[in-house]
Amino acid sequence: MRLAILGGYLGAGKTTWLRHRIHTGALAQAAILVNEAAEIPVDDALLRGPTLSLPGGCACCTGRAGLVAALRELADRRSRGQGPAHVVLETSGLADPGAIIAAVQADPVLVHHIRFDPVRVVVDALHGLAQLRAEPLARRQVGAADLLTVTKGDAVAPVDLARLVATLRRLSPGAAIEFARMGEAVPAPDLPAAAPEDLPRLRTEGPPPRPMRLVLPQGTDWTAFAVWLSALLHARGDDLLRVKGVVRTPAGRLLLQTVRRVVQQPEILPEDASARDGAVVFIGRGVGQAQLERSFDRFVLGRS
Amino acid sequence: MCNACGFPARPGVWTEAGAETAMDRTRARLMQGAVINRLLRPHGLVASDGGTVPGIQLATLTGATVIVDDLPALWQEVERMLGRPLDPLAG
Repeated sequence: MRLAILGGYLGAGKTTWLRHRIHTGALAQAAILVNEAAEIPVDDALLRGPTLSLPGGCACCTGRAGLVAALRELADRRSRGQGPAHVVLETSGLADPGAIIAAVQADPVLVHHIRFDPVRVVVDALHGLAQLRAEPLARRQVGAADLLTVTKGDAVAPVDLARLVATLRRLSPGAAIEFARMGEAVPAPDLPAAAPEDLPRLRTEGPPPRPMRLVLPQGTDWTAFAVWLSALLHARGDDLLRVKGVVRTPAGRLLLQTVRRVVQQPEILPEDASARDGAVVFIGRGVGQAQLERSFDRFVLGRS
Repeated sequence: MCNACGFPARPGVWTEAGAETAMDRTRARLMQGAVINRLLRPHGLVASDGGTVPGIQLATLTGATVIVDDLPALWQEVERMLGRPLDPLAG
């Protein structure tokens, strides 16, 4: 069963985006779970179709048990051949997608049933920058995204939009950025060049995360790399927000993805001769490129 | 799960993905032992994964030995012994 997480800050346009997908029939085969932080569900009134509402607590903390139970139920039906193959979870605006992935992976049943689609995070062009300035949560959401959808882009001046996009690129260098208007995907507008916003340091967060890249030499042993990475994540998991890459293993090409300490069960990808494998992106703070390379050389390659 | 010894406790650690044949798994296990020891040596710890006992045996140089289930449990136990997590980036 594939689980697509749709996240984003409060009012960013998650439901609008989802509603348009339902309208076009793109999700006809999918089950849709809507989680809301409030006790009284509102979004399910907007969304018609086979949706299941999970009110009363955000799925990454207080509502976690409800989410796990709902997913187990769907996984169980799927195992009997009745359930949907695809589940879309619209998180509450207060959820950290990373925490939801962690909850699913920590569940002994779900870990066997669920594979993750790329995490989509919706960012509001009107308020996005203000949220990123003030809210650690908004930064975490953007940091956890594989796909960023910028909404309401027509409501701000191009120069502000450009600055938001530059800031998003800096916070989440690995994520693709798309644009949507009223839930409908629109082509990227022509934007003037802009520098990313210099985000203030928040009390609870360290310096802004920076991307790093490790190129694995041909013939690097996957197990050696994985053991080293597991030690690294154990020690520095709070600083390494994301590790992503495609690595060669004896069993084939492996897609490796982590969010903080949580490693998604690696997925074997189809062979693709044109793909450039062996580059792993690290996004983190307090870790330097040179430090990373030195440690890799010493422990993975055994060169001291 | 075996009722006597409790192994295997989990569906397998993510690091074990990528080895499908028995030969690959054996090779991976040997490589895992080598890299673990490369990481542990500066801290005066030794691990062995000989295959006679399930899990990984972690020992101090004075011989105190603990058996742990898997890699995540190993790093936790190492953290307990050292009083801090083993950081591959340090030093």
